[in-house]
Amino acid sequence: MIEELYISLVPMLMVIAAILAVHFRDLISATIALAVMSLLLSLEFYILHAPDVAIAEAGVGACLTTALLVFAIKSTRRMEER
Amino acid sequence: MSEPSKIVKTIASIIFPPTMVFGIYVILHGHLTPGGGFQGGAVVASAITLLLVAFGTAEIARRLKESHLSVIESIGALGFISLALLGLTATFFYNFLAGSGFIFGRIPPFGSNPGDMNTAGTLPLMNISVGLKVIAGLFAVVLVLAFVARSKGGGKR
Amino acid sequence: MRRGLAIPIFIIFSCIIISTAIMMRPFGEPKSTEMDDYIIKNAQNETGANNAVTSVVFDYRGFDTLGEATVLFTAVAGVLLVLRRYIHE
Repeated sequence: MIEELYISLVPMLMVIAAILAVHFRDLISATIALAVMSLLLSLEFYILHAPDVAIAEAGVGACLTTALLVFAIKSTRRMEER
Repeated sequence: MSEPSKIVKTIASIIFPPTMVFGIYVILHGHLTPGGGFQGGAVVASAITLLLVAFGTAEIARRLKESHLSVIESIGALGFISLALLGLTATFFYNFLAGSGFIFGRIPPFGSNPGDMNTAGTLPLMNISVGLKVIAGLFAVVLVLAFVARSKGGGKR
Repeated sequence: MRRGLAIPIFIIFSCIIISTAIMMRPFGEPKSTEMDDYIIKNAQNETGANNAVTSVVFDYRGFDTLGEATVLFTAVAGVLLVLRRYIHE
């Protein structure tokens, strides 16, 4: 019962994080929302009994992609244009 | 971009060793526990990226040249492909070490067992080579982008 | 005009995806299991690895891993080729 609650709760939080990542005008905030989505996705993989994919997603999605995007934003502009 | 504060540096130097140990554990125990070369390599590359973010690009670039990363990645790729070619007595990617009694050559009993490092033939060697390749590859991309950000960005918003 | 086209397309795709989700098989009960059974039964004897996933990735389907490694190598080589001139500035 509690596991089914987790299985349905984590994707809802993921959808919220994804909507926030699109909605933010500050690109650093959008990147952090994307990192939160990746971390919740890795938690969801762990709940669904796929620890391999969870480790890969946590390493690549939540850490390396965030660092790459932050460096890319640093060399361009921070705020999104209208 | 100003220098990161002392808090960031302290926390990074505390978190770096456990992350590194965990990544190397995931690589070396790839044939026993969940994970493998790619996953452990991503974790180790994340640990080095944490150092890169906390201590700045110049500090890391003084100790770790980009050409070293190229050499490590080539070693990983060559090790992987030569391990695959060594099994060519039977087929490509044949596991010629499994059950031979040589290094990593033991066969575990069927079913649940506590696990033994000295099993699984070529799989641990392939895990190590793929791990080296993934560490060097992913970190090289992040390092080059950090150089680009340093030469182009620099406080400009 | 554009919005009038977008809403029916959204509704149609939502219906397709939701009906697919309803028609999906129950979780953890695949239809044909010969390959899974073979790997679960023989992976420990044939490759000696306790972790059957790693034995599939590096042994039974090693060719796929070679392709994946090639993709990673090509991506890194492309990035370094384009951005290498910034390193020595």
